Amino acid sequence: MALALVLKKSLSVQATQNFFKTAIKVDSKRPFTQILSAIKKEPIKVCRESKFNTPKRLMSGDHGKLWTVERGVSVALLGMVPIALLAHNTLLDDVLAASVVIHFHWGLEANVIDYVRPIIFGHAVPKVALGLLYLVSISTLGGLIYYNHSSIGISNTVRKIWKKE
Amino acid sequence: MSLIFRLAGQRCNSQFLKNSNGLISCIRPVTLKATNVSPPSKEGHDERNMKLKRPQSPHLTIYAPQLTSLLSISHRATGIVLSGYAIGLGLGAIVLPESIPHYIDCLHEMGPAAVSFVKFSLSFPMAYHFWNGIRHLIWDTGKMLTIPQVYTTGYIMLAVTFATAGFLTVM
Ligand code: HEM
Repeated sequence: MALALVLKKSLSVQATQNFFKTAIKVDSKRPFTQILSAIKKEPIKVCRESKFNTPKRLMSGDHGKLWTVERGVSVALLGMVPIALLAHNTLLDDVLAASVVIHFHWGLEANVIDYVRPIIFGHAVPKVALGLLYLVSISTLGGLIYYNHSSIGISNTVRKIWKKE
Repeated sequence: MSLIFRLAGQRCNSQFLKNSNGLISCIRPVTLKATNVSPPSKEGHDERNMKLKRPQSPHLTIYAPQLTSLLSISHRATGIVLSGYAIGLGLGAIVLPESIPHYIDCLHEMGPAAVSFVKFSLSFPMAYHFWNGIRHLIWDTGKMLTIPQVYTTGYIMLAVTFATAGFLTVM
């Protein structure tokens, strides 16, 4: 009971004190940002459960550098596609084949990861799909380079389709 | 313990009320009850939505088509179509019984309509993906990202794409 009395006293005092404290602390002009900055000082610890049973997507590690390389290849393609298609040179055809295949491989990989998700297809299918994509991409690269050297090549194929009778 | 707080709270309350000091009288003492923390749900966002049979977000069959979303998915679609052409040529060169040039000769024998159809089918996705790819690469540098800019560059890209594809088809 004594404790209750003490508490009662301190509570009433504190309540009034706190009330005025907050009233004074938060200046009326930008009260909200002030509250926010006060919150920021004490970072909220978000309890993140990292071990979900099913991974949402097949992702791993830091992809920052890969992203930059992907954009680099895209910029290179911007020049490579018109240059190689107009130049009709076997070496440029090979460079075109390599850059196109690496570019579409990354593009299709993103599609496989987006659509063939473990949550829909289970654990095995997404991995098989990704493996198949690797197989297709590598075979395509091999096939295109074989075609560039054993036949007329990519740029002459386009020219042949476009040629007037 | 909670009893003590509640008693204290009640006392305070009555004191404030008696006080009838406008502002302070609206402070209401609250009793907090401690309970065990429930562990975070193992169920993820996607699992939960699937379990509740929620439709895909955005709900594509009722969500209004917008230039932004249409141009975005078209970039993906044209990328996939172009990949199909590249894969077809690469694998075709290995597995087809005849050489690729032989099939192009056959195409020309089929007449100008067939040739134009093939030319458009090749040049439209390429033109679209090429010009829209520039838009994507500009965005990747953090520029042209306001909604008016996205619409303006979108319409410009569409005009240039149809012009390019049309020119390449009749060429
Ligand atoms: C001509 C120059 C090209 C440029 C500048 C270019 C640019 C790009 C860019 C910037 C992206 C990423 C889009 C994003 O950020 O979501 C992309 C995606 C893609 N590109 Fe290309 N590209 C070109 C040619 C090609 C070619 C020739 C092919 C296929 C043979 C191709 C296939 C793809 C695919 C499959 C994707 C993934 C689409 C997606 O998942 O959103 N691209 N391209």
